[in-house]
This record gives sequence, C-alpha cells and structure tokens, in this order.
Amino acid sequence: MARDLAIDLGTANTLVYMKGRGIVLNEPSVIALNRQTGEVLATGHEAWQMIGRTPGYIVAVRPLRGGAITDFEITERMIRLLLQRVGVSRFTRPKVVICVPSAITEVERRAVTDAARRAGAADANLIEQPMAAAIGADLPIDEPVGNMVIDIGGGTSETAVISLGGIVALEAVRVGSFDIDNAIQNYVRREHGIAIGERTAEEIKKEIGSADPTGDDRQAEVRGRDLMTGLPKTIVLSPEEIRFAIEDVVSSLVASVIRCLAKAPPELSQDFLVRGMYLVGGGGLLKGVRERIERETKVPVRASTQPLEAVVLGAGHVIEHYDALKGMFMGARR
Amino acid sequence: MIWVAVGIAIVVVGLGLLVWSRRRAPDGVASFQRQIDALSPEARRSVVDRVQELDDTSADGRGGEPRDPSGPHGSGRGVDGA
Repeated sequence: MARDLAIDLGTANTLVYMKGRGIVLNEPSVIALNRQTGEVLATGHEAWQMIGRTPGYIVAVRPLRGGAITDFEITERMIRLLLQRVGVSRFTRPKVVICVPSAITEVERRAVTDAARRAGAADANLIEQPMAAAIGADLPIDEPVGNMVIDIGGGTSETAVISLGGIVALEAVRVGSFDIDNAIQNYVRREHGIAIGERTAEEIKKEIGSADPTGDDRQAEVRGRDLMTGLPKTIVLSPEEIRFAIEDVVSSLVASVIRCLAKAPPELSQDFLVRGMYLVGGGGLLKGVRERIERETKVPVRASTQPLEAVVLGAGHVIEHYDALKGMFMGARR
Repeated sequence: MIWVAVGIAIVVVGLGLLVWSRRRAPDGVASFQRQIDALSPEARRSVVDRVQELDDTSADGRGGEPRDPSGPHGSGRGVDGA
C-alpha cells in the first residue's frame, strides 16, 4: 500500500512529504539531460551543480518557470523520478497533493495533474501555495481572524489573506528570487561589462544582496568573463550597487503586498496591525526584505522559522487529514 | 418466471438506492466543521512535531550542524564563474 504524498513543486526547489513520515525529499527542481538521446543524467542537487558547466550535449534545465510548467515532458519525467525515489512503483500508486501558485491557468493546472497521474499517482489534487503555507506556518486559520501570508518563491510571489479556512483576498505576481538573480546578472553585464552565470548571481545575492539598507558594508569580489576581451576579469561589487540592481523587482514584490492589503475586507485589516503578516518562501531569506515590507506597509512582518518547508508542511497536513480537508483542493471550491 | 422478475426489480431498486445515497449532497455544516477542526492548531501539532523531530535528529547526526534544506540556497560557494 503506497503512502500518500504531498509535493511542493517549486520553481527553485522540490520538496516531498510522505504521509506518516514527514519530509522525505528536498532538492533543487533541476534535471540534466543528454540533448542527443534524451536520457536523464542527473536530477536535484547533482543536476544543479551542472548548471552552466555542461558540455554541449548535456543540458541542465529547470522545467518550471514562474511556477508553471515550461516543458511538460521533462516535468513529467522529473515527477516520475521523484516518485520512484520515494518508493512509488506501478503497483503502489499513492494519492498526491501538489502545491501550485494560485494564479496558474486552467491549462497549467491540467498539465500538473496530468504529469503527476502519468508519473504514477492514483489521484492528483492541487492546493494553492499560500493556503498550504498558512497551514504549515501554524497560523490560526481555523479562526475568524485575518491571517496574511506573503510567500516569495523562486518564480512567483503571492500574498493571501486567509480566514476561517479559506482565501479571502489574494494577489500574485510572477516575480521571485530568480528575477532578483537575473537583475544582478543584467546589472553586472550592463555596468561592468562582465558576464556572470545564474549561480554566481545567486551567490552575490546571498552574500551582499539586500532589499533595504542593513548596515553591512561588506563588498563582494566577483569573477566573470569580460564581454570586450573575452578574458576572465575580477570586479568588486558593493551592497548599494546590488540594492540598486534589484530595486525594480523588490518594488514590484512590495507593491503586490500593498495591493493585497487594499483588497482585504476592513474587518480583517485591523487584525493585521495586531497580528502582523507572515513571511515564508526562499525569497524571504533576502536580507532586509522583511524590514522593507514593514517600512512601506506600516504593518509588522514576522518571518517563518521554516520558510522553505512551510508550504510542503501544509500540504503534508492536508494529506494526513485527506477526507476532512479535500474540500480545500483547487477546483473543489469552484 | 415471476420470481426472476421480482429479483431483478429488487436488485434494480437496491442499486438505485445505492446510487442515490452516494449522490446525495453532503451535509455542508458537518463537512465545514470537520474541515475547520482539521485545521486547528491541535490537529496540526502532530505534523509540526514530526518534522521538528526529524530536524533535530538530522542536526544531531551531523554534530549539531544546521540542516541545509534549500539546495542552492546554502551551498557556500565562492562568487566566481561565468
């Protein structure tokens, strides 16, 4: 008998929760393929190490962009491999709950469920990431009070107001951590004439990136390829430069939070001032993002202790109480 | 012959009742209450505790080193490479 699974199929990372066991898999959503034969060469951490460092016939790709499937076939193969790794076979077909951005289209929704079913799931249901995050973050969403969740992911960011087990207001933008990495790559290319890879941009973000001044003046030495000469070159970047480079992306994230606050019913708005907003997702780890949202909204923001796992934990709870909570699946309420 | 007809009628009626009872709309109040109960902090405690235990165990197993759940987020590589 297969144990049912909850999957957070994120643009950046994929996490799997197994009923009765907890989180059994947590790795980057990357797959490396032989371009000529189509053979899968690596997935997860191993494939992530290959990004930007592969010979011509190998391609390491993220099959999800902006929380949506960009390559259905590759995503299906990735889900099949994930299920195999957690013990699913053709004889043990579990029920699967998959966390997806709430803004995905009907076509994307069907693509995800079809991919899971074809990969070996007996039944596949979807749940909105902010709802799952609220459950996983242990917010009192069973009470008639306003709970606000900000989930900044790799490709999407969502802000939701939840009360009495349902989403009251929602705002989603297809902007996330990867857009911050891209902004850094573009800035370095434009201002310093150097090409850097996406992994390097991510390291710069983690080292000196911030959404608000933090008082940390550490600079970062960055090595890349000079676009004029083609030779390796080293430059030094300051936190101010990176803050300037990512300003557009950060502003767009904060604007979406403000739009969601504006959509919330006034009865619930007063709850936020007392209870604050809850920040989850990998993007919430960017330095100064909590302070920036607080400063611009005048509402306190609390950061999750498990920002990366909150979503899959919530979906895991749904799997543990499948019959009672199946009314929360996307489509069940419509 | 008549007994066969009666038997078929009973089976058809039985099947009809079965289908009807399955298609009957669920009690909205009861299912909503079950959903709210399942979302309560007490109901969620087991999931949170189980993951917390796993976290503690994996941290202990590596000499107290914190877990790196993020893949790319915690690799600690140098900032180089085009």
